[in-house]
Amino acid sequence: MIYLDYAATTPLDARVFDAMLPYLRPDGVFANPASTHGPGFKARAAVERARAQVAALIGAEPGEIVWTSGATESNNLAIKGALEFRGAGATGRALHVVTSRTEHKCVLDTCRHLEAQGCNGQPVRVTYLKPNADGVVTPEDVLAALTPETLLVSLMWVNNEIGVVQDIARLAQLLRSRGVLLHVDAAQAAGKLAIDLANTPIDLLSLSAHKTYGPKGIGALFVRRRPRARLQPQMHGGGHEQGMRSGTLATHQIVGMGAAFEVAAQRRASDEQHLTALRELLWSRLQALPRILRNGNASLMAPHLLNVSFEGVEGESLRAALPELAVSSGSACSSATAEPSYVLRALGRDDELANASLRFSFGRTTTVADIETAAAAVIRQVQWLRELSPLWTA
Amino acid sequence: MQTETDATQANPFGYPPPVWQRFNAPARAGRFAMDTPGVVTGSAGSPAAHSRLQLQLRVADGRVADARFLAYGCPTSIAVGAWLAEWALGKTPAELRGLSLSELRATLEIADDRAHCAVMGEDAVRALLAQYEDAQP
Repeated sequence: MIYLDYAATTPLDARVFDAMLPYLRPDGVFANPASTHGPGFKARAAVERARAQVAALIGAEPGEIVWTSGATESNNLAIKGALEFRGAGATGRALHVVTSRTEHKCVLDTCRHLEAQGCNGQPVRVTYLKPNADGVVTPEDVLAALTPETLLVSLMWVNNEIGVVQDIARLAQLLRSRGVLLHVDAAQAAGKLAIDLANTPIDLLSLSAHKTYGPKGIGALFVRRRPRARLQPQMHGGGHEQGMRSGTLATHQIVGMGAAFEVAAQRRASDEQHLTALRELLWSRLQALPRILRNGNASLMAPHLLNVSFEGVEGESLRAALPELAVSSGSACSSATAEPSYVLRALGRDDELANASLRFSFGRTTTVADIETAAAAVIRQVQWLRELSPLWTA
Repeated sequence: MQTETDATQANPFGYPPPVWQRFNAPARAGRFAMDTPGVVTGSAGSPAAHSRLQLQLRVADGRVADARFLAYGCPTSIAVGAWLAEWALGKTPAELRGLSLSELRATLEIADDRAHCAVMGEDAVRALLAQYEDAQP
């Protein structure tokens, strides 16, 4: 089995595993980090060390990191929390949010929830920008959608399906001068792109540990302090995390995320080089097949991801013909219904082509031999399915 | 990254074994050469289901002497084509008319949500028989 689904999740880095163990052992550092006694202080120190490690990867201050259960929670907290805080006492006109059609489901569903429920008794209107055929939403597209009621823009840095990198740095500067809050989902960007929040005026940024060789179940939200991005908490309770996210801190998970982000900071440049080389090798090998399409702008790609549509093959059979590869497909497939990717549909691919797409994503332990084996399997099986098709004409 | 082969790798998607086996090794996939005598062709399918099945039978002395199929669609569609090409061998046109949808579904263990694949197979056989009858003097 060749695992090429690192954009879905990564294995734990061995150093992360080792770092977490002392906080999981029955005789380990188990105390509640909020407790005011020796063992509690020890756990607290580990949490704060991890906070600094996470902050360091993205050029933030430790006090700007709020622990969450993952990027989904971070995105919910950022969007709902910012709107509830900023929308309080507003004029009664609809609060406005700008996002894109190719965001992660957790951003889109949060926006739809706000549209349906409103916020603080006021209606919420959301503009879902359509990316161009390359998957790009330009800063100008965003600016054109702003209204005097726009409180928040939410845009992902790296698209999780196609890997396109949005021009967040320029967008952030443009929005700052207009006083509109910017939230960025950076689940696929952290550790892959250079992120320097000290010099990039993003207000809120969502992070996940398990996309970066950390454990599942832990993430963080960067909440800028200067100028302060204010949020209404979504999880009420003991007032942890500066009141923004109550709940006993998961010390072992937090330590794991900190360790993973420290490793990511050390390896970012070499990881980028390694992943880019693998991505381009696979794309060049797949050129043996006619009528394939690379999804997203090839010059604006995150290093770890390649999404390809294959004409003339049916999507479910394409997946089934590659049981030795762990890759993601162009559909959110269940046995009964295969719903084509809304991201690929937004790029203008029709249902059939969106279904006949594969997302290959690479990681630190992916080898050139893995890519050669995978490319050979894909080429062989696509050719076979095309030969088997009564509709295929070479 | 190479990971250990696990028991589900052979059929990790959970297809019925008769479908999985035929999908992976479909006998009689292909088409007859253009000038092959005695060949009748039947096609069926729907753009909505993203599927198309073509069945070709070479009839000699009133019986199916050889069979080929082509399929575009899910693994079940491909398995239906492969099964029909096996099943038709040696049969007379009258026997082909007796194709039982329930037998096809039972043999390939086709669940309700894939019943349309079996129906496509039946439609292809009917189209083929209509062509065969049209061609009779």
